[in-house]
Amino acid sequence: MQDSLKEFISANFARIELQEHKNGQTILEAECQPGDLVEFCRCLFCDQHMYYAMLVVEESAEQWIIKHVFYAPSGEMLHVLVRLPLAQTILPSIATQVHAADWHEREAEDLFGLTFEGHPRLGDFVLHDHWPEGTNPMRSSFDASQSLPPGKQASDWQPIRLLESEGSFAMPIGPIYSDVSESALFVLETVGEDVLRTIPRLFYKHRGIEKLAEGQKAHDVLLLAERFSGTASFAHTLAFCRAMETIGQIQIPARAQSIRLFVAELERVRHHVSALAKLCASTALAVAASQASILEEQMLRLSCKLSGHRFLFGMNTIGGLSMDIPEELFRQVLQESQEVGGRLLRLRRKLTRTSSFLDRLQDVGVISQQDARAHAMLGPAARACGISMDLRQALPYGPYGDASSLHIPTEQEGDGYARMRIFFEEIQVSLQLMKDALETMPKGPVAAENADCGAGAALGWSEAPGGGTFHWVRTDEEGKVLRWRLGTPSFANWHGFHLAAEKFAFQDFPIILASMGLSVAESDR
Amino acid sequence: MSRWLTEGLLTHKPTTAYPARPESTAGISPGLPVPSSELTGQALEQLVSMCRVGALSKEKNTLGFDDGRCIHCMRCKGKSPKELEWDDSYEWARLTKLGEKNLAKLSASFKASLYIRTIDAGACAACLTEISLLAGPNYNMHRLGFFMTPTPRKADVLLVSGPVTDHMRDHLLEAYDSMPEPKRVIAVGACAMTGGVFGPSFTCAAGLSDMIPVDVVVPGCPPPPLALLHALLVLTGRKQQAEKIRALGSDRS
Amino acid sequence: MIVKEILIVFFALCAAGSVISLLTKKAHLVISIFGSLASVSLVATGILGLGLGKPLNWSQWSFPIFGQMHFHIDGITSILLLLTGVVALPVSIFSNGYLQRYLGKYSLRSFGVMYHLLLASIAAVFVTWDVMSFLVSWEAMSVLSYLCVNFEHRHEENTHAGLLMLVMGEVGTLAIAISMFILGSAGGGLDFESLRLGAQELGPGASWAVFLLSFFGFGVKAGIVPVNTWLPRAHPAAPANISALLSGVILNLGLYGIIRMNLDLAPVVSVNQGLVVVITGSITALVGILYATIDNDMKRMLAHSSIENIGIITAVFGAGLVFSASSDPTLAGLAFIAAFYHLINHSIYKALLFLGAGSVDARSGTRDMNRLGGLIKIMPWTSLMFLIGAMSIAALPPLNGFVSEWLALQTFLQSATLSSTSSTLVRVTFVLCGAALALTAALAVTCFVKAFAMSFLGKARSAQARSAKPAGGTTRLSMGILALTCIALGLLPTYVIPKLDESVNVPRQRHAVESLVPAFFRPQDANPIMDKAFVDEFHDLGAQVGKGLLPGRGLVVLHRGQARNPVVFAMSTSYTVIVLGLLLAMVFLLVHLFTRKRTQKTRAVWAGGLENLPPELTYTATGFSNPVRVVFNTVFRPQKTETRHQNVARHFRSAVSKQWEVVHLADRWVTGPIVHVLDKLAHLAASMHSGRINAYAAYMLMALVLVLLAGHLFT
Repeated sequence: MQDSLKEFISANFARIELQEHKNGQTILEAECQPGDLVEFCRCLFCDQHMYYAMLVVEESAEQWIIKHVFYAPSGEMLHVLVRLPLAQTILPSIATQVHAADWHEREAEDLFGLTFEGHPRLGDFVLHDHWPEGTNPMRSSFDASQSLPPGKQASDWQPIRLLESEGSFAMPIGPIYSDVSESALFVLETVGEDVLRTIPRLFYKHRGIEKLAEGQKAHDVLLLAERFSGTASFAHTLAFCRAMETIGQIQIPARAQSIRLFVAELERVRHHVSALAKLCASTALAVAASQASILEEQMLRLSCKLSGHRFLFGMNTIGGLSMDIPEELFRQVLQESQEVGGRLLRLRRKLTRTSSFLDRLQDVGVISQQDARAHAMLGPAARACGISMDLRQALPYGPYGDASSLHIPTEQEGDGYARMRIFFEEIQVSLQLMKDALETMPKGPVAAENADCGAGAALGWSEAPGGGTFHWVRTDEEGKVLRWRLGTPSFANWHGFHLAAEKFAFQDFPIILASMGLSVAESDR
Repeated sequence: MSRWLTEGLLTHKPTTAYPARPESTAGISPGLPVPSSELTGQALEQLVSMCRVGALSKEKNTLGFDDGRCIHCMRCKGKSPKELEWDDSYEWARLTKLGEKNLAKLSASFKASLYIRTIDAGACAACLTEISLLAGPNYNMHRLGFFMTPTPRKADVLLVSGPVTDHMRDHLLEAYDSMPEPKRVIAVGACAMTGGVFGPSFTCAAGLSDMIPVDVVVPGCPPPPLALLHALLVLTGRKQQAEKIRALGSDRS
Repeated sequence: MIVKEILIVFFALCAAGSVISLLTKKAHLVISIFGSLASVSLVATGILGLGLGKPLNWSQWSFPIFGQMHFHIDGITSILLLLTGVVALPVSIFSNGYLQRYLGKYSLRSFGVMYHLLLASIAAVFVTWDVMSFLVSWEAMSVLSYLCVNFEHRHEENTHAGLLMLVMGEVGTLAIAISMFILGSAGGGLDFESLRLGAQELGPGASWAVFLLSFFGFGVKAGIVPVNTWLPRAHPAAPANISALLSGVILNLGLYGIIRMNLDLAPVVSVNQGLVVVITGSITALVGILYATIDNDMKRMLAHSSIENIGIITAVFGAGLVFSASSDPTLAGLAFIAAFYHLINHSIYKALLFLGAGSVDARSGTRDMNRLGGLIKIMPWTSLMFLIGAMSIAALPPLNGFVSEWLALQTFLQSATLSSTSSTLVRVTFVLCGAALALTAALAVTCFVKAFAMSFLGKARSAQARSAKPAGGTTRLSMGILALTCIALGLLPTYVIPKLDESVNVPRQRHAVESLVPAFFRPQDANPIMDKAFVDEFHDLGAQVGKGLLPGRGLVVLHRGQARNPVVFAMSTSYTVIVLGLLLAMVFLLVHLFTRKRTQKTRAVWAGGLENLPPELTYTATGFSNPVRVVFNTVFRPQKTETRHQNVARHFRSAVSKQWEVVHLADRWVTGPIVHVLDKLAHLAASMHSGRINAYAAYMLMALVLVLLAGHLFT
């Protein structure tokens, strides 16, 4: 599968060294000089139509290792590697060509103090203005356990405003807004009714978990992976465990694989029901919102019955699962989930017949396929724009094995209504997957005998409810985590959020926000 | 619209009977371990070593338990040689010293209706999901006179979840300052009580007790909706607080 | 008569002011002294004129060509003279402080000369009573107002605005002159008495011609759609004191012409002519307020709002003409009173607002409401006065705008009681125009909420607004006079209405006052006009209650004297104020009683946790009025609206812009096409100028032949 890519690279970029690492998984690494980086990445992204996953920056004792991770729907994965001496902190920015790398580079600029030459918009991002200049928390010299003296938020913070019209102004929403909402600030640039540009300001919830993980045992890092984004906890632990299992070359029992699939899909159903409840609430359709809320609570109770925890915390462990679940319980959960699925179909029928509801979703928050691709948007938000990308199919992993037959719902319109239909469709697909998994679920242990990991590095991924998530982990001999890098779907989709929030009437903002199904916690980390 | 009206009327009422009667449906709470004095010796050592967040501790040869640190990681559940007792209830909320003092001079108007402003100070969104479910049909806090409000200017209670990140600290204080007197604060979940798995660190504080006076704490990660409901009832003196036995750790007031 | 003498004193003061301005460097001081004195003498003339009882006529000076000059003072003249004086007095005082900004930049001497001559020419227009002297005064007024508007002549825009004003004014004058000459030739003389005679001789065709020519001719000066495009351009160009005079006095001259012609000299007898006035007035009002609402330049907004008010006055006046032609003199009288009341009110509050705008402009350096904000903290007095003006113009009780607009709308509603002889056309027109006026009134509130809130409340949105300075003493004094007048006219309509009735309805020999301000407080038997049973009914209702306590007669009532259930409507601003005052005091008292034990805490606005809300994140004037712009998009029909998103490096947004350009309706439909045609004609004419001598010789020859031919044919 990788051969054609290899040929292409050696034919066009002779100076780039290709290496294949086989460490449980095959990683194709292309090491290039900083000078070639931009053109090479452009070629991969624009000509080869590869997807951009994330930027991994590692600081070893003597050098920077900077990796741009690309992957293709056909299953290839390529790490574009640049090595720099520690003293050198300037490297070219690929964001001008690979727009998806924009926020990754800005983040690295804040956290590592690297400078990406040619990036049009560096500055205040992950660390807000009031952090002391030159604080780069991800550098190894930075002590993560220290409590920084409370910095006073800069009261004169000003958004970078782009709207040039007579009498234009900006409306702030947040960071504390609505009844119950995740903290984020949105600055809506407008001349009155029509909002012409939205500037999201995130990272109010930045907890620095990548730094906190450094030097911790993998089992402890698992707690962080589980709890940094509670609404997609199982998917993230799955990706993290898979990375660790790859490093330790741990064989997962077949039963564990099957249960993982079942639970991951259960989580997807719950997440989507929750997103639909928020969407109904945003259009002030109280009955529908209540109905969806009842179903959400029902899914939470099912999760709790199954795993003991309403958000499936504590279920995944490196090497399998922390507990076995009796067959009977599975059947019960599946049956009740299918009931929920049935009621959702009914809800969907009613919603699609409510014109006042559809009016508020159709042609609202439209994202074009081209823009969505350039911003490397993921998950339901991307699939609503006609991008049929799903890691379960593109890079089949663990429990999914060969999932080429997986049905991936896509829509073309890219508006709020398309995203709503994707949510509904995916729930039905997930229920089917759960049913199939239960039918073929083998007997046996649910965890590997030995779950110890040594030194190594690996990439784990999974299709979280919001889109593909990537966990890059490097460990030392004792199995302590040296570097943990997360590429989360919300991070990618928030990057593209402004596309949906341009040219809309002010009252549509909550709907656009809800229809994207984004998590701030997942993005802020 | 009439379609939705009939739909709403035809849906059976899912609202819990709590607080009139205890709720016992499966899946409403992840439960908390109950420290028992019977555990000793090696079993105790083993249990304590399993707990990675410091919720279980050895105190004079008996098991100590700090509910502010427990995150239901389930690692101690069913793993020790001698079964650790597990409590599936949800009445976890406790008054701090300040809360007890404040409860005595609680005005009557608080008992009839209470306006709540929720603040996400770095939560993982699971807490927020549980809080937002309070207003849903299953828990319907409105029937008990509890309401959400978008502005702290009208709020009586601040419901804070999350370990309080550096970026949210000033906004949290701003919201607290904006509330009219008398005001109360509830710390929701392990993060808001002790910093949870995130704090204290370079980005997070160890919960909010250092910043603003807290009246009620609700353990849990996240505390299920019924625990939150219990917290609100405890705050208004309509329910007894959780027994102190669980909080063998230091009282954070 | 002493009136005549005082009027001569006024002219003498104006002349003295001009001469002294020429001699001194401190012309602003001269204006504030001599202008004020002249204004006071004008006020005296007006007051004494009102007391005359019957018109005063006299002739003076005979000129070789023009013949004898005739003068005339009657009720209408007196009221307008009084009004001119009341507006000119504060404007003159205001000029002292305001004009100092021009010291060393423009010649204040010439301004002083022009200002005094302008005052004189305005008064002359009111009192002249023959066509020639009227036209001369009118022209003098036109040219002098042009010169004053164009005072800051070094700005090219101002020159353009001034020229447009002059050109449109001249076209109007031409129309007026023709209409007057038609009447004169029919009546056999050029004094106005002859015109009046001539009007009775005219056939329907000529009568329509006179009506249309005079209506739109005077309409140019008054600012009636579609001949008003000069107005919103002239105002921002003019100095603030001239703006105040322009809106407070000079627009009235146009209205005076319309009223004099259609009410007095050539009274309208056809319902249809009245309908033309009603419809034109209503459209003017609606168009005016729509453009006012979306305009962000304070002075241009006020100019558009002047157009709106002129529209209301014209519409109500037209209603009076219709009622009069439908032989319902009481209703007609009511309409004329409403029209005059609104005319007076508009002059007062518009002058007040223009002085406010001028003071803001002078003290902050900008009139752009998008860039103002928060001035209430810096200029509290100016803000208060402006608020009174804004509340008046938005017709909020108990201020004067409410009284007149209430009368105006009630008058329109009374069209329902018109006799059955009136056609469906009349009824439909009144319904539609009434609706348009109601919409206008609603939009006026939006417009002035925006004007006040965006300029004086909130946060300063520019450095200029932040560094503004409080207004000076003369500014405060002059605005205070006008603000107090606003309040007085609002609280005491029952004293104003009889005066208006006397003066306006005298020429028509019909009175409406007993219908509006019945003397309920007089003893029961001392009501000679009204039916005794009716008076008794009112006394039973408690009309006598508190007669010693309340300020005189407080109730405005329209009643059908003898009918059962006679009251059609009733209103009292003075009683409202008393009741509201008591209620407010009670509320304050209660609040104080219940909260005195509580401590209060003042905090900044809650903005989602943001500690300081930067002014860039607060509403602008454009944003506030944008809903109106969107809803009435079909009216504004912006020539281009364009939203652009610009990117760098393909996907990085670098700029977002939204541009739109609104061309005024009248420009688009009337002035624009005319200018276009004239342009074409000028190009055609230019092609004749070949520059060759033999061509010009040929033109001369052809002209000679034509003249000879014409001479031969017509003799």
